[in-house]
Amino acid sequence: MSNPVDLETAGLSRRQLNLVVMVDCSGSMTGDRIASLNFAMRTAVPAIREVAADNPETDVRIRVLRFSTEAEWHVGEAEPIDNFTWTDLKAGGETAMGAALIAVAEILNNEHMPGRQLPPVLVMVSDGQPSDDFEAGLSALMDSSYGTKATRVAIAIGQDADIDTLQRFIGHAQFKPLRAANAKDLVERIRWATTAPIKTASTPTNSPDPLADLWHEASEQNTVVEEMVW
Amino acid sequence: MNAPSSQTIEPGAQFRALSSGRTGQVGEMLGAGGQGAVYAASFDGAMFALKWYHDHVARVDVNLRNRLKRSISRKPPSDAFLWPVDLVEMPGSQSFGYLMPLRADGYRCIRDIIAPPPRRLKLSLSMRLRICSAIADSFLQLHASGFCYQDINLGNLFVDPVGGHIMVCDIDNVDVDGERASVYGTRKFMAPEVVRREALPTSKTDLFSMAVLFFYILHGWHPLDGQAEAAVDILDAEAENKLYGTEPRFIFDPDDQSNGPVPGHHDGIARRWETISKGLRKLFTRSFTRGLHEPRDRVLETEWKAAFTRMLDRLITCKECDNDVSYDATPGSPQKCGICEALIAAPVMGKVGRDWVVLGQGRTLYARHAEQGAKNPTARVGIVESHPDDEAIVGLRNLSQKPWLVTLADGRAFKVMPDKTVRLAGGMTVTFGAKRMAITDPADTPEQPAAEQPVAKEAS
Repeated sequence: MSNPVDLETAGLSRRQLNLVVMVDCSGSMTGDRIASLNFAMRTAVPAIREVAADNPETDVRIRVLRFSTEAEWHVGEAEPIDNFTWTDLKAGGETAMGAALIAVAEILNNEHMPGRQLPPVLVMVSDGQPSDDFEAGLSALMDSSYGTKATRVAIAIGQDADIDTLQRFIGHAQFKPLRAANAKDLVERIRWATTAPIKTASTPTNSPDPLADLWHEASEQNTVVEEMVW
Repeated sequence: MNAPSSQTIEPGAQFRALSSGRTGQVGEMLGAGGQGAVYAASFDGAMFALKWYHDHVARVDVNLRNRLKRSISRKPPSDAFLWPVDLVEMPGSQSFGYLMPLRADGYRCIRDIIAPPPRRLKLSLSMRLRICSAIADSFLQLHASGFCYQDINLGNLFVDPVGGHIMVCDIDNVDVDGERASVYGTRKFMAPEVVRREALPTSKTDLFSMAVLFFYILHGWHPLDGQAEAAVDILDAEAENKLYGTEPRFIFDPDDQSNGPVPGHHDGIARRWETISKGLRKLFTRSFTRGLHEPRDRVLETEWKAAFTRMLDRLITCKECDNDVSYDATPGSPQKCGICEALIAAPVMGKVGRDWVVLGQGRTLYARHAEQGAKNPTARVGIVESHPDDEAIVGLRNLSQKPWLVTLADGRAFKVMPDKTVRLAGGMTVTFGAKRMAITDPADTPEQPAAEQPVAKEAS
């Protein structure tokens, strides 16, 4: 045999889809909220795995960034979703959302996301106002090579979340931040935000713009409005 | 971990079937997708599947109800379709759903053939061809009934990996061909004119999606993903529109290598392409060159079926690498294996009419080989087997109910009764009834036409 080829591995050169979850770990998240968020993320992982399995041509990778007084990578190396387990986050400090965007901007390029890629999915979860320079973070994000191409989703926890800022992060008028008023909402929103953008890669499309399917679903997510019960 | 929301219905809830007016009960959730969720449901003393739509799908797709009603009023084109039985409503809900038969056990989604291990569904080349042929047949029935499917893709076909039977799911987009379509389709399966939003799905775009599907099933890869796709770092909407809409190019386009295979990246796909028959390669080439731009030139189901059947008849197993390949050389000549490049010795073959059959160990002959217009073309009539005492002696056993008439090269003739086996020899003719098969054995005819220069086999 001059050049044996394993035909079974032939289809394995898959495009990557990088999911980056940015979590607000400021002091206001302390207690029940961060516990609920940890629970929500843990339960989202099998759901992400399931949608990833429905897209066999896509290699889904996940990173997690926490931001409080500073931004730091909780999971800095893109982890294949099949190997990923959630490690609980702790809260305490301020809301350095600008720094978080700068940290994410630094990896939105060919060097940190090498090879054939699908547009990355950025999920921002926050319950408050940025305490640092959000504008600087947003421009860094938009100036990065994959920043404007990324699908950006935001989840607003509770009444004090800065909806306008999150809307600017999303950068799309029809695509509203998802609101989580209680722990049950949060589980659903996190699951939706981390799976729906992956799912659109394979489901049939009804609209000229595939993102439009996401807005429709996102707006239905927001129909439950309840008082904060934590 | 599916938390209840406004989108879902609760197991145990009652529903009402619209045309019969009778009620049934929702069972466990079987799966959820972009349009809604599927539940088990008990109705009229039997178990069904119930697809229940998300509110926005029911609201946005205004023709959905009428499409389903029309399908319900018609007979399923074939048993392969999980065809809707009745529409369903629930008190207090804006949405609706429909009942359909439950998918039988043991079926796997065809998408699993490209899944990474351990989920990967491994199938032999002959099984892949049988599945393709079954799919072509199902869509032939659907199109012949005046319908089009609109969203053919790897996700809505299920296969029984043992018997090669298929099931077609997600019938909700099925519509009368030519009506205003309700979806564009699924990414990478849409015809270029649909990607460009110049046309809506029809039976002609179904033919394109079907060709993509067949290419996937045989190669585990998309036909338009070559060098140009490999060079795209980030596949955003603009890049996608170009690769599959405005500048689609076939990876194996003989006249345009600008999207050809990249060495080291597409090697496995290029090898697979070498293993399929010339006839099939021609059909794929037409589908993804002229057929990209000329919907009229797209390959029809009957053409695919004939090519799959012919290739099934000419499959041979390479003794070096154990892969199945199509034997396309002039009968009597050896052929280089498309995968490992070892030389495959010329096999014993039978010729029926214009078609050749490789008579290798285990080859089954069917009624279509033996009879003209066979009623049950897949009924077995014969099988190639070794002599129980000497493996080197190969014969054809009569599995039919009728005696065969065999004539040898020297003119002697005799009968082979049912369940008896006749040793295969060059120059022999086997008359099954309406059809006869002429046997060629290269061992009996030393003077071979040198179609291809034999390549010396070397240890790597």
